[in-house]
Amino acid sequence: MPAGTDDSSRDTGLTRPWGTITAFLLPALTIYVAFTAYPAIRTIWNSFHKVLPRRDEAVGLANYAELAGDEIFWRSVRNTITWACTSPLVEVSIALLLALALYARVPGARFFRVAWFTPVLMSYVVVGILWLWIYNFDWGPVNVALRALGLGGWAKAWLGDPKTALPSLIFVTSWMWVGFNMVVLLAALHSLPKEVIEAAELDNCGWGGKLVFVILPLIRATLLNLIVLSFIGKMKIFDLVWITTKGNPLWATETVSTYVYKRAFEWTTFDLGYPSTIAAVWFVIVLAAVLTLTWLFRLREKLEY
Amino acid sequence: MRAQMPSMLIATAALATCLAGAADAQQVKELTFWSHWAAEMPKRSFVEEAIRQFEAKNPGIKLKQTWYEKTALYAGLKTALRAGQAPDIFYAEPDQVEYMENGFLLDLSELNWAAVEPWAKEAWSYKGKPYGLPLEAWTVELYYNKKTMAELGVKIPDSLQLAPDDFLDMVKKAKAKGITPMALGVGDRPYPGAHVVHEALLKRLGVDDYDKLLKGKLPWSDPRVVDTLKWVRSLTEAGLLPNTFATLKLAESHIYFHTNPGALTFLNGSWYTSRAFNPPDKGGQPKDFPLGIMKFPAVPGAACNECRSIAIGGSYVGNVATKHPKEVLAFFNSFVSFEMGNRWLDNVQVQTGIKSDPAKLTGPQAADYFKMIAQTNAGAKYYFGIPIQVLNGKPKEVFIQVMNNAFPAGTIGVDDAVKQMTSAY
Repeated sequence: MPAGTDDSSRDTGLTRPWGTITAFLLPALTIYVAFTAYPAIRTIWNSFHKVLPRRDEAVGLANYAELAGDEIFWRSVRNTITWACTSPLVEVSIALLLALALYARVPGARFFRVAWFTPVLMSYVVVGILWLWIYNFDWGPVNVALRALGLGGWAKAWLGDPKTALPSLIFVTSWMWVGFNMVVLLAALHSLPKEVIEAAELDNCGWGGKLVFVILPLIRATLLNLIVLSFIGKMKIFDLVWITTKGNPLWATETVSTYVYKRAFEWTTFDLGYPSTIAAVWFVIVLAAVLTLTWLFRLREKLEY
Repeated sequence: MRAQMPSMLIATAALATCLAGAADAQQVKELTFWSHWAAEMPKRSFVEEAIRQFEAKNPGIKLKQTWYEKTALYAGLKTALRAGQAPDIFYAEPDQVEYMENGFLLDLSELNWAAVEPWAKEAWSYKGKPYGLPLEAWTVELYYNKKTMAELGVKIPDSLQLAPDDFLDMVKKAKAKGITPMALGVGDRPYPGAHVVHEALLKRLGVDDYDKLLKGKLPWSDPRVVDTLKWVRSLTEAGLLPNTFATLKLAESHIYFHTNPGALTFLNGSWYTSRAFNPPDKGGQPKDFPLGIMKFPAVPGAACNECRSIAIGGSYVGNVATKHPKEVLAFFNSFVSFEMGNRWLDNVQVQTGIKSDPAKLTGPQAADYFKMIAQTNAGAKYYFGIPIQVLNGKPKEVFIQVMNNAFPAGTIGVDDAVKQMTSAY
């Protein structure tokens, strides 16, 4: 160690209080290691084993080889990615329109703000049961409305048809999360610097121009964060599917999370190795997707105003 | 004084021995007990009464009971067994072969098997050893509304089994009157929709070939299988099942049949009683509901129209790691007698794997019900278990998705269904 460094520390009296640092870091580190790092590492370790009670057998890459040919897994991957790619765009687009409406102080804005936000407050269990009723073939409001409009031929078991089951659930999550996105965007809109908006107005910039050339660039970071958050949420979706369809019909709504659960707890086996393999592969896919999104969306120039 | 010492020591030692003996006698052995049926009061009451009687006869043994719903119990047990913290006795069903494969269950060879039906013991046998106390047994029954059936002009023959064309005709007549021919739903169970396919294929193939089919030793492309699936398809195309089939839950399908909107028939396990015989305000069938039971219809080209399935349901097993195996066995033995078998039938009104005599039933509802069950089961040749109890892994998952759900719902045709099932093995 250079003598000067030691001297300067002594001069300023800034010796590192290792005891205090350790005391502050240890609880958080312990919790992190016990509940995040260890389970993650253990899951990866499990994926190379057949994990049975009282014994583990190393199987090398056998679980990964099986996973590569597992049609149900790939079906669930396709469903989940479809969900994760469509839902954020729908949610954020609609949320932006609603936030702009509230920002423009449409009549009844306070009521609409509460009404549109309410679905976020409900749990997926409640939402799932609610929408099971709404989609009911015989007396669900969707089919009742269609019949009332003379479109009875379009009435169907929305969650029972492989063609409509996934879109129907995507619609439910969008309905549920639009309010959350709207509130965040509304906060972003209210934090915009007034002078920039006023400058645009002085330049005779209309609503459309202000939106495209001023507002959207200024809230771009918020929009992108919401998209990434929604994407991550949909990549993990489980509750709604479990309550409504359990992955039926014909795996049309099977997601990776429901498939992992089925393989871990519903297939007649104690083996946790294969479900761990699915979890490990999915973790890598989600991580890669989020990093890619972040890279694509990164702001090359820092906004200043 | 010295002479007195040995005698005092002996007296003290004798007293200590007596006190220790008394302490041992008073030490109560506690058996932990986890069971499904938290909300199924007839079954729960039967077991609770059995526990009370067992504890009265065995003052040194106490059972610490915890009641669950099945899903929560299964999830909890999987974790507890792994961690070595499972109870001494717990609920299980014979399809949970993973318990036996991993050596978690107590060998029950010493149970009084003479008082248990041989097929029930067989259902719980694994590699030559029995592992479960088969309390609940059930058959797949075709319930119908006698009044509606008569109004449609359909006469149920004395054999209680309609011919294939007559059954199709019945479906069409009901549909034409706006009545759902059969109340079934797969919203929360992996098997109700498969009952139709299962009973039809069992009759067409007979017990041995059907078993081969489920175990992958007979191809699903076998012409007999394809023909039978086409017949089932003709029924579903005629409108056999409700439009809400995909999302209708088990409890809802009971109500759909007997109350609202009302269906002509209901294909269900004989444990129909556990929900339908509750008071109407608790989801039971209306008072004086004209309940009838008929046999599943004959199937075109059937090898065995008298074939039907019988399954073991709720059972109790012992934890191999228990510290009190003798007490667990004694507890199980307290269930196996004609008296207990009949008490189960009288109170629970579902069949049992314990030997019993329905002729001696005392409750009027139970006596009538089991008389009907006896008629539909007369001369039956049984296949033990339903497909999801026989299948494992991917074939089971595909069977649930295809035969329980998509095929009866009409989402996929016969060729697709056969292709999916073939690829599952």
